[in-house]
Amino acid sequence: MDNLSELFHGFTIAVTVPHLALMATGVLLGILVGVLPGLGAPNGVSLLLPLTFGMQPVSAIILLSSMYWGALFGGSVTSILFNIPGEPSSVATTFDGYPMARDGRPTTALATAFGSAAFGALMGVILITFLASWVAQVALAFGPAEYFAVYFLAFASFVGMGGAAPIKTVVALAIGFAIAAIGIDTVSGSVRLTMGIDELVKGVNFVVAVMGLFGIGELLVAVEEEFHARAVSSRIDWREVFRAVGHLPRHGVALLRSAAIGCWMGITPGGPTAASFMSYGIARRFSRRGRYFGTGEVEGIISPETADHAAGTSALLPMLSLGIPGSATAAVMMGGLMIWGLNPGPMLFVDQKDFVWGLIASMYVGNIVAVALVLLTVPVFAALMRIPFAVIAPLIVIICVVGAYSVSNSYLDVVMMLGFGVVGYLFKKLFYPLAPLVLAIVIGDKAEDAFRQSMLMSKGSLGIFFANKLVTCLVVAGIALLLLPLALQLFARIVRKPASARTTNQEKVSI
Amino acid sequence: MISRRALELATAVLTGSFGVAVVVQSLDNGIGWSSAGVESGTFPFLTGIIIVAGSLYNLARGLAPVASLARVPIAITSIELRRLAGLFVPAVIFVAAIPLLGMYVASAAYIFAVLAVPRHQSVLRSAMTAGATALALYVVFERMFQVSLPHGALAAALGF
Repeated sequence: MDNLSELFHGFTIAVTVPHLALMATGVLLGILVGVLPGLGAPNGVSLLLPLTFGMQPVSAIILLSSMYWGALFGGSVTSILFNIPGEPSSVATTFDGYPMARDGRPTTALATAFGSAAFGALMGVILITFLASWVAQVALAFGPAEYFAVYFLAFASFVGMGGAAPIKTVVALAIGFAIAAIGIDTVSGSVRLTMGIDELVKGVNFVVAVMGLFGIGELLVAVEEEFHARAVSSRIDWREVFRAVGHLPRHGVALLRSAAIGCWMGITPGGPTAASFMSYGIARRFSRRGRYFGTGEVEGIISPETADHAAGTSALLPMLSLGIPGSATAAVMMGGLMIWGLNPGPMLFVDQKDFVWGLIASMYVGNIVAVALVLLTVPVFAALMRIPFAVIAPLIVIICVVGAYSVSNSYLDVVMMLGFGVVGYLFKKLFYPLAPLVLAIVIGDKAEDAFRQSMLMSKGSLGIFFANKLVTCLVVAGIALLLLPLALQLFARIVRKPASARTTNQEKVSI
Repeated sequence: MISRRALELATAVLTGSFGVAVVVQSLDNGIGWSSAGVESGTFPFLTGIIIVAGSLYNLARGLAPVASLARVPIAITSIELRRLAGLFVPAVIFVAAIPLLGMYVASAAYIFAVLAVPRHQSVLRSAMTAGATALALYVVFERMFQVSLPHGALAAALGF
């Protein structure tokens, strides 16, 4: 029960007045970016990142992770009240949430969503509490070859399970790797890929990339469609809230199943979006009332919401214990960790106990704070939706420009940020996945170093990746995941002729 | 109007040329095995090759009339294109003006221009929003977080 005493120690760090205030601030900002279409958790966290550079790492991560919880909750508010998913991961919530709200039960829909979301998040945190330090202990025995194998597995699972077109995922990943390689090579010290621009010696900071990709890129996607928010009443009836939450245990099977799906998709980099769609699909298949799905079914709200939050939370487990983020937002946070001078991975559990357990404890508290605040502020944020997009858009542009500049006081970064914006727009539009691109920018360097170190150890023989059971399993699993889409395609071609319908379905999910 | 196919092709060409640039540049660093281990150009060289190969695949798929592409023939309509330009062009001008005007003046002018010129808001309200933005930037960055934003050639000329 070592974990529990560590956790208790974590609570003494997390439950202090300044940290509770940071949590509330983070959650409120998170709900704000979650509610505003065109901004999401990855954008919000990246926009806030430059402001955390001067903070204590624990405080900084509490602020950012609270913002993440807030964004997850905020995305559901607009899905249910306006049929506009504020987040990609709450698209599945619109299917039953909006019909229910439109039928005059907005409070039930919101309370059900928040209740099941909190349950999903709780499951995710419990998983982290008990598994994270164990995973980290295993990982402490890792050598460079094992590390490379784990990185390889993470990249391969994006290709195999990410849901986007596999070749596009590969291209996005490789571009991320190339961007990570720009600047001074950490092993040999030589300057690489500067394209003749001397200032690029310092490399491309990932904050610059995410500001452009998520901030400007999604703004460009959002500006294409004009939003006509047709709100249903956003008044909260408190008795109804308690009744809806009280009804939740009746759907225990759906809750547990969705939490399990979410945790699995969060640890493997499937991400919250894929988790919520998958959970909704499975619920519709297995529920006795499956044919009523889409008309305002309770389980149609529970399933995607639980899975969404379980995935969002458990995505932090591989980030903390292995240094491999399970979602785009986790990737951005991990970049933050590196900027604050921490080294994500198993050593974190040895060197930075306060940080790790403070964060884990703050997840428990932060989610409670988030549920309370989101319920209280639903009317306020619903009113915010009426601020015209024309005002919000230029403000977001300015935040991105200032953010990109303040990373290293470089004008070139601002120009590059705009360039990344165009790339982000094109990729979004054509269903190239952004998460693997960001992941590769953040950990591309480490993966390359691990590979080269193992090559040094083995004197250039690839046999080191099959030297023991652990590393062989990891590499084989990675290769299997890499080949999975190919195998599925071949299989589909043998079973049925029209294989093209698959890809369009997948593309829809990857939005 | 821009078709989905044209957009796919343009993106594939864009990623492909980035890949070629990476391949060419990494050759300068040396690829393969040397006495000091794997040479520093090797990894970028391989990623460059993967980018080029993947882009060629996407290019070929974009050229071939595949059912999934034919279903969404138009990616960006002319109205959407106008909205995109309406957001992006002022943003580019804003960024271009920063070295001259400095962050504060440029962002205030930018906000004022995008709100008042298309008549989204009245001139007075636009001016107020613009002023408030610049002030907020100054207070948050220059005062609270001690981050100096560029003041620009204009401020230098005026002696700030």
